[in-house]
Amino acid sequence: MQNRRFSPFVSSKNSINKVMFDVIIALLPLCGFAFYTYRIWFLIVLGSALAGAVLTEIVFSGIFLKKWKGILDGSAIITVLLLVFTISPLTPWYVAAFGGSCAVLFGKILWGGVGKNKFNPALVGREFMTVFFPLVMSSGDIWSTKRIRYVYEVEWFNFIPNKNWANFFNELFFVPTGALGEYSAVFLLLGGMYLIFRRRISWHIPTFLLVSFLLFLWIFEDQNLNYSLGGILLGSIYMATDMPSSPSSPTGKSYYGLMIGVVAILCIQFGAGFEYMSYSILILNGFSTKINKIFMPRTWGTKIDWPKKIEGVFLLTISVLTVTFAVLSMHYYGYIPYLIYVYIIYIIFKFNFSFSKKLHQPI
Amino acid sequence: MMHIPLLKYKTKKQPIAELEDALIYRIPLQSYRSTLQPLVKIGDRILQYQVLAEDVKHHFAAKIHSPVSGKVIAIDENYISLENDFQQQKVLTEIIDSQQLDIERFVQVLKDYGIAGIGGAEFPTDIKYKVEDSNIKSLLINGIECEPYLTSDYAVMRHETEKLLKTIAVLNQIFQPQKIVIGIEKQHKELKKHFEKNFKKHPNLPIKIHLLPNEYPQGGELQFIKSVTNREIPKGSIPTNFGYLVSNVGTILAIYEALFHNIPITERVITISGNAVSTTGNYRVKIGTPVLHILQELNIDAENVDIVLGGPMMGKEVVDLNSPIKKGSGGLLLFKKQQKSIENCIECGYCVDVCPQHLMPMQFVKGYQEDQNLLTDFNLNHCIECGACEYICPSNLPLMQSIVLGKVELQKMMYAK
Repeated sequence: MQNRRFSPFVSSKNSINKVMFDVIIALLPLCGFAFYTYRIWFLIVLGSALAGAVLTEIVFSGIFLKKWKGILDGSAIITVLLLVFTISPLTPWYVAAFGGSCAVLFGKILWGGVGKNKFNPALVGREFMTVFFPLVMSSGDIWSTKRIRYVYEVEWFNFIPNKNWANFFNELFFVPTGALGEYSAVFLLLGGMYLIFRRRISWHIPTFLLVSFLLFLWIFEDQNLNYSLGGILLGSIYMATDMPSSPSSPTGKSYYGLMIGVVAILCIQFGAGFEYMSYSILILNGFSTKINKIFMPRTWGTKIDWPKKIEGVFLLTISVLTVTFAVLSMHYYGYIPYLIYVYIIYIIFKFNFSFSKKLHQPI
Repeated sequence: MMHIPLLKYKTKKQPIAELEDALIYRIPLQSYRSTLQPLVKIGDRILQYQVLAEDVKHHFAAKIHSPVSGKVIAIDENYISLENDFQQQKVLTEIIDSQQLDIERFVQVLKDYGIAGIGGAEFPTDIKYKVEDSNIKSLLINGIECEPYLTSDYAVMRHETEKLLKTIAVLNQIFQPQKIVIGIEKQHKELKKHFEKNFKKHPNLPIKIHLLPNEYPQGGELQFIKSVTNREIPKGSIPTNFGYLVSNVGTILAIYEALFHNIPITERVITISGNAVSTTGNYRVKIGTPVLHILQELNIDAENVDIVLGGPMMGKEVVDLNSPIKKGSGGLLLFKKQQKSIENCIECGYCVDVCPQHLMPMQFVKGYQEDQNLLTDFNLNHCIECGACEYICPSNLPLMQSIVLGKVELQKMMYAK
């Protein structure tokens, strides 16, 4: 029985590497814009984060997971790119290196390796940076990047006679403010379309996230909510769609996207500052398994038990909102660091007593 | 569902060729969900088309007949071995008047002649056609051969068209369906014209051709019915209860042989193909022919290849070269051995996207290895084992292994209760 070969005897040419490679392709133009705007500053941040991540991956993936070639799957590179895209070009090199290293170690390796993480590694890395370098990360100074900019604006569309329209298009292609991945709304979208076209992400998460976010934004219009379009696009297209930490069924993805939008608005409304996208995605990451269960697709030839499903969705939504308000309260009182400390202890124990024993299991 | 490169060009254009008879035949006793009981003893002399074994107790499997005349030389739990005397002495049977058949007599013919679904599952056709009174809405002829490489159904439709239509005419007269549909894949749309030319000889048949997308597994019975009638039938139900009679073209050809020539299923058309073989084609082969005989006849070198009976998606690996062709084997495929390395599941959800039954296959891997509750929670029993999930998986997860063995676990759990 053990040596029995099971069908199918042909397989597609899909591989993890191909998936990762496509994501990197989608992210490259954004790297281009970051380099275009901040040149050496971008290279310093990217280089140090990459060095931290690669070193961590090689050493700890080898020691803990017995996979010395873990770096070759490309996941660490994507994690670093996404992490770098959420931080300022003025981030000190050691903080970036620390972030890249923590993202890989605490965001992925200690969960048991690629695919097994419950939370988006890049955002985990970002939270570690915020907690362990609070002065650097939450100071307003880090975002005053005007003095190091090489490019302030583009004039690519100035041929359009109407000045407002020309400005609109220029800014759609390039705005030099915010985190390193947020400068080009158009290329954020194009990358997303490429990934959808290549079926590396599905349209559900970004669409529902953006729709719910913009809808609530419109409802709370008078509040003058502070957000960045680039940040929202980056979060919805590249962060929330991280495969392992997001649900797998179409309806599950839709709900997940929708709720990230809602939670993001709540986070902005209740003062989570720069962290609104990280918080909302990480909170929903935690509910992915549950969402998969409640939103499993309707099996062929069967009927959905609607009362049960509605009850499930209702309770799930209540849980999401409760956790959101808990996190926001902790944020308000400055307790988020304790949450991260608990996470560190939890993941170390969990790896030691459970995950390390399941390394041979592919799921 | 999904698109798979179908690789049918290798054998599509080839006619149905014949093979030399073998000396030894091994008649399979395992079929559908049962084991047949032998009706002959070692040493018995048997005639061609004589019944060899039957599921006496509960008829979960169709009878099987001898493809040749000769002698029984061995019987074990899986096979009856025959030695061919090359005399071709046939059993005498009474001629069937196909004009005078009613449902009951027709079903008896199907049963007597061992007709079974030769699309793969070998479900006894008489059970399928046993309807109380004839309230059949549609007769659906499944010409969708969605398995890559296989062209045996195509060859039957291309070269045995008139035989199919003659049989369909008989079915039409017995069951009086409101309409008859032959479903074929878009990639074979040239067949549509071919069929329609032949329809002219049967002006009274309410028949038409339905072209369906080249998707896998479009030919699965449930998926086929849905694509043609837009009706979604749950797994495990019998289509006739919903007014649909569904049969594979190969099965229709087998019914033809029974009705018009008094020949039970003792041969079928198979495709010989794969990426490790250059001698490809469609062949008429007797049920019970050992794989080794076919390979020798065609001078195929089977060193260091994976040999598969059936299609590449749902077929079974041939471990013993003496294993025979069964009623449900649509192909004999040879593949270069390939090493697949299993990576971690990255929860890309591709398996969920392609699952024709709308399941979440990755949960079955998890369920099989650590938490059996997941198997029931995620409806493992609704899986039709088409293999689409494992085909598409970028991490090469052992999905089919978990599914097949997981179902065994569920059975055990059921018996334990």
